Amino acid sequence: MTEIDQTLRSIVKTFRMPSIDAGASVAEGIIKMTDDDIYALLVPRRNKHDAYGIVTKKDIMRKVISEGKNPKKVKISDIMSKPLFIETNLNLDIRWVAKTMADSEISVIAVFDRGDFYGFVTDNCVIEGIYHASQRRRLDTDSEYVSC
Amino acid sequence: MELRDILSEPPKIALEQDATAMDAISAMVENTISYVLVKRLDTEDAFGMVSSSDIITDVIAKGLDPNDVKITEICSKPLVALNNIDLDMRWVAKKMVNAGISRIAVFEGENLRCFVSDVDILKAIAKELKEGLSSHSGKDMQRGKKR
Repeated sequence: MTEIDQTLRSIVKTFRMPSIDAGASVAEGIIKMTDDDIYALLVPRRNKHDAYGIVTKKDIMRKVISEGKNPKKVKISDIMSKPLFIETNLNLDIRWVAKTMADSEISVIAVFDRGDFYGFVTDNCVIEGIYHASQRRRLDTDSEYVSC
Repeated sequence: MELRDILSEPPKIALEQDATAMDAISAMVENTISYVLVKRLDTEDAFGMVSSSDIITDVIAKGLDPNDVKITEICSKPLVALNNIDLDMRWVAKKMVNAGISRIAVFEGENLRCFVSDVDILKAIAKELKEGLSSHSGKDMQRGKKR
């Protein structure tokens, strides 16, 4: 029996996401990723009928570096994933966030709250959420941990 | 660029084979790492590894309790390994993509030397690109310094 009772809202830690223009080169993208230490970049939409796109480290590894291409000559628009995977229900249990990641073989999900960008979650956010849930459960049940 | 340019420290955290998925989760969060090594029983056994995505796909997405799942059930074993540290970065990346993983073990003879991740590769490339952006003379100077 599992007792994971964590919602998506509680594990979103980062409320901004670096963005990059679709016409920029992959080289700019790599530098931006390593500078911010966030390995996913949002590609803004051109108008409200367009979809957001996303570029992750996996896209760069798969479509540029392992193919031996020059990152300066490849554009972000050639390798981005569009539209991106989103969650809109902030009260969703993280089990279903994990399930979305497992089914679609992705590691970053953007979270939107009523049409506006709210933040994003990665697989490490989910792991941290599980860890904190179990620590809290220990505090609730075991008296020896309530010494402080 | 070659594999030898991105080698890092050997993994510090290793779990015994009877550990549970919850032990792996705690080790990851407490040490801010995204994988743990699983020790081998003897020299005839193989090393294993548990990554955060293994835990997500095999434990959490299935709704299992991490305390009840043994890491031997979910770990990747044997490891995807490389032993030629002169290999070009491109083929390291290709091996990762082909195996669908983001971390490769580097062996030196019999011994596990370290792990190399896709982030290490991207950081090395970013460093090279930044050096290229500065003036050409600057690049030559930095090369001269290395030798």
